[in-house]
Amino acid sequence: MRKILSLLPVLLLLTGCWDQAMLNQTKLITAGGFDYTKDGKVLTTAAVPQSVAAEAGQGNIVNQIFSASGNTARQSRLRLDRRVAERLDASKNQIILFGEAAAKKDIYQLLDVFYRDPKSALNAKLAVAKGKASDVISTRFEEPKMSSGVGEYLRDSIRSAEESATVPKENIQTVCPVMFDPGQDFALPYLEPLKKTVSIRGVALFHEHKMVGTIREPLSVTYTMLTGEKHTIAMSTTKKIFTNKKPELMNYVTFKVKKNKRSFNIDVTPEGKVSAEIKLKMKVVVTEYPRDNLATPGEVENVEKRLSKKLTKDANKVIQKLQKMNSDPYGVGRHVMAYHYPVWEKLNWKEVYPKIDFKASIDVDVIGHGIIE
Amino acid sequence: MNSHTITHRQLFFLIVQTQIGVGVLSLPFSLFTKAKIDGWISLIIAGLFIQFSILAIWKLCDRFPHNTIYEILPKLMGKNLGLVFNFIYTLHFAFISILILIMYNSIVGKWILFETPHWVIIFIMTAVGYYFITSSPREIARFFVIVTPLLIVLFVFILYAYTDVHLLYIFPVGQTGMLTIIKSSSDAVVALLGFDASLVFLAYSNGTPAKNIKVISFASFCITVLYAFIVFTTYIFFNPAEIIIVPEPVLYMLKAFSFSIIERTDLVFLSIWIISVATSFISYLFIAAKGVQTLFGLNDHQKGAPYVAIFCAVIAIIPNEKLEVLMWNKYISLTSLIFSALFPIVLLLIAVLRKKQEKGAASS
Repeated sequence: MRKILSLLPVLLLLTGCWDQAMLNQTKLITAGGFDYTKDGKVLTTAAVPQSVAAEAGQGNIVNQIFSASGNTARQSRLRLDRRVAERLDASKNQIILFGEAAAKKDIYQLLDVFYRDPKSALNAKLAVAKGKASDVISTRFEEPKMSSGVGEYLRDSIRSAEESATVPKENIQTVCPVMFDPGQDFALPYLEPLKKTVSIRGVALFHEHKMVGTIREPLSVTYTMLTGEKHTIAMSTTKKIFTNKKPELMNYVTFKVKKNKRSFNIDVTPEGKVSAEIKLKMKVVVTEYPRDNLATPGEVENVEKRLSKKLTKDANKVIQKLQKMNSDPYGVGRHVMAYHYPVWEKLNWKEVYPKIDFKASIDVDVIGHGIIE
Repeated sequence: MNSHTITHRQLFFLIVQTQIGVGVLSLPFSLFTKAKIDGWISLIIAGLFIQFSILAIWKLCDRFPHNTIYEILPKLMGKNLGLVFNFIYTLHFAFISILILIMYNSIVGKWILFETPHWVIIFIMTAVGYYFITSSPREIARFFVIVTPLLIVLFVFILYAYTDVHLLYIFPVGQTGMLTIIKSSSDAVVALLGFDASLVFLAYSNGTPAKNIKVISFASFCITVLYAFIVFTTYIFFNPAEIIIVPEPVLYMLKAFSFSIIERTDLVFLSIWIISVATSFISYLFIAAKGVQTLFGLNDHQKGAPYVAIFCAVIAIIPNEKLEVLMWNKYISLTSLIFSALFPIVLLLIAVLRKKQEKGAASS
């Protein structure tokens, strides 16, 4: 017993004291934004939520926004640090925003800091902002005033968009392998700041390290479906399947995807001609159908047929857009590389991809329709 | 001798824990630099190669039951040459301990303890090593058995990577060519080192020779499979173009995962991994201390232990730049390959040719 007691003080020595990071000496960044200034310098904006004691004893969050410019991302961060009394710490960062102009230049160069620092939060979300990132971060949003900082607010907005399959799920680390891959590209959420809220407008498509275009919201749901995402919590979309019904509202049906199965076929002819086809088999539940007559199998089949046709049309529209932008987020190039390496070596994928024969078809199967017919 | 013996099951855990060490974190990277995305094949080939070394070690120790390598060498080569080789082997095992310290220090210094002075990190590990080797092999083996379940935790963490993998990255298989794949398996052998601990620990086993070879061989097989799994996972997690800039792919991969309770999975992984490093370090330090005991004719290895520990710690502090660390790694890996994997086969040949065998050993 005495032996154990005498060992207890040793515990105090185990912690050491070199590597301590005092919370009261740091300012935790929850949102960071990158823009380029007119003379080509990097402008970093950071939001630091600070809790202020209110009268009734309730905490209130005030967002402090700092910004500084520098030749590189790190230099601007160091300058930012000098403007703040405590040490800035990005290990709890929730989101990194790129201004549209910055995203069109190169995002890897800006992200290098985050990949290199062992303390950085690799699970932070990435997004592209319409206009300037600094504008989004410094907007005085209605929601976060009381409860949380701007970082949490933006992250949660993106998370809910992910749940409804408007944008694909990505974070700093998940885009990295794809960014390096010559045979695949990626997409990030595309935000637009409104007066007091932020709206997720769709996805920003990338080619290599650069943003090359956008696909807007409802079509971006079709984009996410085509990635082969099994199903998210609320992968829903509304489609117009009739044209002649009055009132206009009657033309639409809303459904939720329960199961999404993708088969991805890539054909390479001996001459090196590449063609690709994505086939989706979806099991959906109708969540809105104002015409209210899903009782007969014939009517269900009719809806299925019309939905499949409409979705296939949309999917091909998405693919057309992607080829036009020369962005390959479904990884056709990766498939060619993996299974037809000799052909891949001969191809200049950047030039070939926009011209390949790339089609999609979606087959819908209605498996439920809520608690009324 | 009685309280010093270990069972053949304990021998299994001794080998497993000695094999898993510093190598695992950077293995995918070092294999990739040579064999590209076919590195995992090199690893499996290396796993086959070491089975031959294991067989040789076992056969050698079988000829001299209850003798450690330090007692076998003089019997094989005569007193003087035996003494020289005993010295070389002691130094060799001491340098493996040093390499473990160096690599452990560089990774801990880079990933968790940025500000802590290097000598502190090294001396803490050395103190643990010293404390353990003052006990008997049986006690060491018991500790190794206790900490083995922790490997399951590491395995589960790595399994989580399968939530975000790109299976296509592994294709086309065999792109680098068979010759390169086989050549780079020498790097994989270095990571699989640890079976050489049986050169000493076999002497303490009270299992039958047939059981001994089974456990050593099976231990190496398990580790080869585990490593191949880890290498394979990182290769489909990272893009081939990305992995060349990530020297510790396993940690980097875990850093990206976060759960609602644990945000930095890599820190949890590292804390458990340190125990695996400690076990390898303890094994080699023990073997080095045994060598010192033979060299100076001490009654027990505990007497030499503090000097061996301090020697290792002091040398391990010397390299402090990344490039120096790489250089030490390169040379010590090379000597390990020679003395741990190849030389036992030579020794066995000598024993067979000169018909050296201990009386009482079952003739084959």
